Formats: sequence, C-alpha cells, structure tokens
Amino acid sequence: MNIQDLFKLAGVAIVVVGLALRLRTTLVVVVAALVTGLVAGLPLFSHEGFFQHLPYLTKPGEAGVINALGKAFADNRLITLFIITLPAIGLAERYGLQEQSANLIRKIRAATVGRLQIVYQIFRVLHGLMGIRLNGHPSFVRPLIFPMSAGAAQSSDTDSVEKIKAANAAAENYGNFYGQNLSPAQAGVLLVYGVMQGVGLMVSVGDLVLFTIPIVAASIILAVIQFIRLDRALGKMAEAKR
Amino acid sequence: MTIGSVFSLEAVYVLTGVTLLIFALMTFADGANPRRLGSGLFWMTLGIIFVFGGVAPHWLTGLLVLFLVALDGFGQVRRGSSETDPVEQAEHARRLGNRIFIPVLAIPIVTFSFALIFRWRGMDVNRGALVGLGFGGVAAMLACLKLTGGNARALMNEGRRLNEAMGAVNILPQLLASLGVIFTAAGVGKVIAQGIQQVIPANNLFLLVLANCLGMALFTIIMGNSFAAFPVIATGVLVPLIITPFGVNPAMAAIITLTAGSSGTLMTPMAANFNIVPAALLNMRDQYGVIKFQLPYALTMWSFHVLLLWLLIKIS
Repeated sequence: MNIQDLFKLAGVAIVVVGLALRLRTTLVVVVAALVTGLVAGLPLFSHEGFFQHLPYLTKPGEAGVINALGKAFADNRLITLFIITLPAIGLAERYGLQEQSANLIRKIRAATVGRLQIVYQIFRVLHGLMGIRLNGHPSFVRPLIFPMSAGAAQSSDTDSVEKIKAANAAAENYGNFYGQNLSPAQAGVLLVYGVMQGVGLMVSVGDLVLFTIPIVAASIILAVIQFIRLDRALGKMAEAKR
Repeated sequence: MTIGSVFSLEAVYVLTGVTLLIFALMTFADGANPRRLGSGLFWMTLGIIFVFGGVAPHWLTGLLVLFLVALDGFGQVRRGSSETDPVEQAEHARRLGNRIFIPVLAIPIVTFSFALIFRWRGMDVNRGALVGLGFGGVAAMLACLKLTGGNARALMNEGRRLNEAMGAVNILPQLLASLGVIFTAAGVGKVIAQGIQQVIPANNLFLLVLANCLGMALFTIIMGNSFAAFPVIATGVLVPLIITPFGVNPAMAAIITLTAGSSGTLMTPMAANFNIVPAALLNMRDQYGVIKFQLPYALTMWSFHVLLLWLLIKIS
C-alpha cells in the first residue's frame, strides 16, 4: 500500500473526527466527500459544457467531484421521499394522533413493570412497521411509560426507580432501532438501498424488510428475557426492604 | 401523458419537491422563525433539487448541495414556533377516536398495494414501493383532510412543523449515500479492503464477518450514528470482502450489517439523543444509567448479528 492510497482515507478520518467532535453533521459529510475526491485526483468539475475552458477546475476526461456529488444526491432523492408523508402525519397529530396512541397505551393492563416495557417495545415496533418516525422519549416515555411503570412497581426506593427509568428508555430504543427497518418508508432501508445501488448492486426493498424480521424477533425475545429478569430483581429489592 | 409517466418515480419526486416549496413559502412568511430567510432558502433549494434533479446538469445540483450545506453550516436553518395545543388535541382525540389512525395507515397500505400492482404487471417492485410511498403520502393527506374537515393550509403547516422539527439533518441519509458513491469513485473501499486483507485471510469467512460487524459497531460508537458508519463499512469491507467474493445475497448482508451498527448505538454516549438526553428527561442520578442497562442486551444482539450473518451465508 502506498502513501497516495493512505491519503484516500482522509475523508473517512474527517467523518470520524468531525462527528466525534460534534461538528455540524451535514457539513462534515460534504467536506469529507470533496476532500476524498480531490485527494484521489478528481477535478472540481467535469471537463464538459459550462466549465470546459476553465483551467485548474477541470481535467480533460475526468468526472468532477461536484458533478459526482450532484448526480449522487439527485439519484438518492428516494431516501428523503418520506417528506411527502409529513403533512398527513402532522395534521393527524394536531387532531389527536398521539393523544389517541396514549389512550391505547393507558388501556394496557400489564401487571408488572417488565411486562409493560415488553408491550411498549412492541408498540414502538408497530410504529416502525407503519413507517412513522418518532422520538418516543419526550412524547411517550417521560409523560406516560415512566409514571405507569412507577405505578406498577411494588416499591419506590431510589435504586428500584433508577432501574425502572433505565428500562423505560431502553424499551423505547430497542423498539425504535430494530423495528424501524420493517418499513420501506424508513431512512435505514432506503439508505441501504441507495448505498448498494451506488456500488452497483441492485437489492430489493422487500428483501431488506424480509431479512429484518429475524432481527426484530431476536430483539424482542432478548428484551423479554431482560425485562423478566428486571421484574425478579425488582421483586428481590422490594423484599429486602421489608 | 401515459399512465407510466404519472405513476413514476420522477412524478413522486416532483410532488415531494412541490410540498417542500410550499413549506419554504410558509417559512419565508413565518415571523416566529429567527432565521426565516435562511431556513426558507434551505427548503426551497431542496425542493428545487427534488423537482429538477432528474433533468438539471449535475454540476448545478452539486453546487446547490454545497449551498444547502453552507446554509446549515452557518446556522441559518432554524424552526418556527408552531406548537399544537394539547387541550385541543385531547378534544379531537375524544371526538375522532381510533379513526385518526386511518390516514396514517393509508401510507403503508398504499405503498404495499403499489408494490403488488407493479409485481403483477411485471414491473420493478422496488420502484412500485417507492412510487407507492409517494402516492401513499398524497392519499393520506386527502384522507386526513376528509376525516378532520381541516383545511389545506393547516395540512401543509403541520407538515412544515414536523419537517422543521427534524431540521437540516433530514437530508443526512441522502448525503451519506452520496458520500458512499464518492468513496467508491475514489477507491476508498479498496484501500480499506487491502488493509483488512493484510490481517485476515480472504477465505476466512467467519473472521471477515466478525471484522465487518465489529467495524460497523466501533465506527458507530465513535460517531454516534450508524447511518454514517454504513457507507464506509459497506464500501470498504462488506461488498469487496464478503458479498462479491462469496456471492452473498446483498440485501441480507447489508441490512444485518446496518443493525449490527444499531447495537453500537445502544452502547455509546455519542448517541446523546437516545442515551443521555432520556436520562436527563427522567431525572436519573447516573447520566450513563441507560447505557449501563442496555450494555448486556447490546452485546448479545451484536453477537447474534455476527452469528446470523455467518450462518445465513454458510447455508445459502
């Protein structure tokens, strides 16, 4: 491997360092793209049409990095297609979508803290399946799932409550992360589709969703085990207090 | 105009672009937005790319992308302050009940129907699903208007509220996919693949799968974002070292690799929105309490991904 090749990794380094430093993500990604193209010896613009006679900016016979960026961004418009679903979801929210979802959650008769987390995780998987993107921490977990869990708990000592809170947040994350790929309307599936198309491999969105199913199944089974163990641990903590 | 051009991907992009242009006009007029000019320009530019991306010269689209990112980089993209009234929402919820789910459910139903119709007519099913997603959005808008008796202005304004709440990071996955294309054009993947081949023999499938999933999780832990890790790992490890030489189903390998990264997200404070902010929202004593709870689960899920990917390749 020669030095020229190693320089090609500059873009990877920019993404890693830029995001780790919490710089503006969009800017980091595009700077990484431009730097990668330039160190690989690509000109800024293709040597055709508008920029044909400009020196330095173009090289005869080579595609420009800005042209490549524009083409890739236009080709991948499908990833951001979900914006067209926002007006309907937004108006439905105004007319009580979240309130009605909360009404459904309140009807859950889960006897224990652990079972409530399991039901909530499945509820979030169903959101993924319907293609709804949602950060459930402020909208469901804090106002609803935590008070309901605290109500179902046998004891309210600080150690138990701390564990319950962690479980609430975890149920949200488990359901959200692994459930979201069940719909082709979700960014993850479309990102994979776009990236694979970019390297010349055609994949079917149906297959992407299909192979998500075993992962979702495992994510739920594993969570059931963890939450049942949580119930036991909470029970022991409550007994120890008595 | 033929049926084919109405129900095409390009038509759906134009519809989405028009939606964005309407959002942009509303943002320009939004006195509550501290950066209404910059924010309006951002959504307008994105709308223009959606409408004309198929016909505009690529250098122009490329420059428009740089403009978008510059607006965001200089902090010019902000949200207005349109909050909906919770009391009003509760009233509507009582009146409409579960019927409010009808328009939302229309989206996946229409998406799926289009995919089936495309398959039945012998056309590309993927395209069907994407076109269906676009028309599903439109069908949901109509259903929502009919159900609520709300007006079109409120419809677009609520869409704009959601869109602005997510903000400029909306375009991040699209940018990341573009980064993947540039990585491929520049041969970045080859360099990473060569580096890994110096350590791992090219015929050792298990170690390659392990390196693939480990790389995905580590990059995600450092960056806090599995979507950002995916193009790097896909072009550098997954495609050149696993999919191509072993003839693996790319959809299966790619989606499992992506969620191997999600296991990393569960372990990292860099994914603050998911792991640190909730601890604060819930007034937890330990700001890492959520991560500590998730750690054994995440490690088990990650191991499951390694085994599943290896097994599925072995048996196929």
